[in-house]
Amino acid sequence: MTNLTRRQAVATGLAGAALTRCARPPRRFPVTDVSVVKASSYGPAVYDIIGRLLTEHRLDLRGRRVVLKPNLVEFDEHTCINTHPVVVHAAYEAFRKAGASVRIAEGPGHRRGTLDLADAAGYFSAVPRFDELFTDLNTDAVSKRDIPSPESKLTSLYLPHTVLDCDLLVSLAKMKTHHWAGATLAMKNLFGLVPGGVYGWPKNVLHWAGIPESIVDLHRLFPRQFAIVDGIVGMEGNGPIQGTPKTAGVLVAGSDVAAVDATCCRIMGIDPRRIEYLKIARGEENLGESAFRQIGEPIRSVKTDFALMDAWSGIRDSNARGSGEAPSG
Amino acid sequence: VNWKDRQNPDGGWAYSRGCSWTEPTALVLLAQSVTGFEESSEPGLNYIRSAVRPDGGWRPQSGVDESTWVTSLAALLPADTLGGDRYESAIGWLKGQTGRESGWSYRLRQRLAGNRDDFPEGWPWFPGAAAWVVPTSLGILAFERARRHSGDAELRTRINAGRRFLLSKICADGGWNYGTNRVLGRDGDSYPETTGIALLALHGAPPSPALARAKAAAARHLSRCRTAEGTAWLRMGLRAHGEKAEYDLTPVLRTNTDAALSIIAAAERNPFLT
Repeated sequence: MTNLTRRQAVATGLAGAALTRCARPPRRFPVTDVSVVKASSYGPAVYDIIGRLLTEHRLDLRGRRVVLKPNLVEFDEHTCINTHPVVVHAAYEAFRKAGASVRIAEGPGHRRGTLDLADAAGYFSAVPRFDELFTDLNTDAVSKRDIPSPESKLTSLYLPHTVLDCDLLVSLAKMKTHHWAGATLAMKNLFGLVPGGVYGWPKNVLHWAGIPESIVDLHRLFPRQFAIVDGIVGMEGNGPIQGTPKTAGVLVAGSDVAAVDATCCRIMGIDPRRIEYLKIARGEENLGESAFRQIGEPIRSVKTDFALMDAWSGIRDSNARGSGEAPSG
Repeated sequence: VNWKDRQNPDGGWAYSRGCSWTEPTALVLLAQSVTGFEESSEPGLNYIRSAVRPDGGWRPQSGVDESTWVTSLAALLPADTLGGDRYESAIGWLKGQTGRESGWSYRLRQRLAGNRDDFPEGWPWFPGAAAWVVPTSLGILAFERARRHSGDAELRTRINAGRRFLLSKICADGGWNYGTNRVLGRDGDSYPETTGIALLALHGAPPSPALARAKAAAARHLSRCRTAEGTAWLRMGLRAHGEKAEYDLTPVLRTNTDAALSIIAAAERNPFLT
């Protein structure tokens, strides 16, 4: 028997894993539409814009049960951690007017007092009857779902009935950098579906199972999705909580959630082919600019480099260098 | 609070509405243990008794086939109401739970990578995950209770390890958040509720500069806390260390856990400590 040093054994394992991934047949995805719309502030225009986005994507909503899943994490009046309450209310009104039965639902990952957090974040004041419309996904009834062909170490997850029973899950995400994932957008936002009442605060089983892989597994459990990313004011630097507000002045939307996230990355000056969860979800070959059909503003007209932590400097879009603001640590 | 009106037909209580969960049900019963058991208590206790699993731990909700951190809350209920065998099974299950980071394989990998940290044993929310502040605090409180009726040395060992875990997770501002005090070299901010519960779990710990800073952080949080859960745990934590727990803001009671914790915090006798 050959004696391998530890370093050789690790190298052999990594090479084997790489070959396994290389051996996958190339995946092909249909070219989908991603909307990029300029929005300069959280004013009344946001209501018109989101209404137009639903029309643009020809969503069949009459009589459908729609769950809006904002990104509600922490509240700090000095920064912009959460999906803005005006975006949440505008989306609620747009889906309701389109004939859907709409609920708003979220399960924050750190704070146990979800309603206190929603109140502090302005959701109660922006959304009339918010208390009636809202489900705390951390404490909703749950059922176990197997994960077919998991990318992560998870084989199943308990998930809330409110999202398991809906016809369309809408990820109302915030455009932010993230200290563990590089960027947090519409796909990472789905971590909030995992019930804290079962897994705790934070939902640490997802971290041990692999963060990028868990993002993809969760995403695939919900095939009927739409995404609207609030990039009017996003967050750069040490996101998703302690970063700095960054005005990007856009809303990005589409039914192909990975395509929406890849587009957001480009707007942020991040190469989506260097974001691990997007690579797992689609493969690098399906993350190029030609993989999606851009509707609305061209990326170059709204692109603004988000500052990255030093640990994430490698995800900067090389085409971005020299344009917009210089990357910073 | 009219607990009967809020009670589900299965005898349990929801966090705010919907299905019953073990945590709010246990907290309501703990609140009733200081205000006096009532008509709703026995169905509530039956719900708790039915939530025990064959491995000795407690499920968090009837739809979940796993034992979790809520076992600590079951072990904090009066042992005679729970039943002696169930109580022993809860303590036995908790003895078998530690954060994954204090397991031998993780420690070995960290040592090989040059990390000499101690990784004291705390408790996870969910088996197989890392230890965090809230489940570790409740584990310490449950073992403190058990130790008063048992000479089991393992209880003392785990209590001491749990306290070392808590002290290792203090944030730069003196309090605690969920359990990550630094990320990529940046300090995290503490929260009211986690600062209060950690302080409560450290009752009886010897005076130290860290404890003094934690009490100061708790007092700061209490002066501006707007949540019922945070206010209740801060009051309990400060009072457990003989400190005044005065506050001006009256928080909104949004959930059954808010109401139960507020009753417990206002009581002369703290059922988490006695």
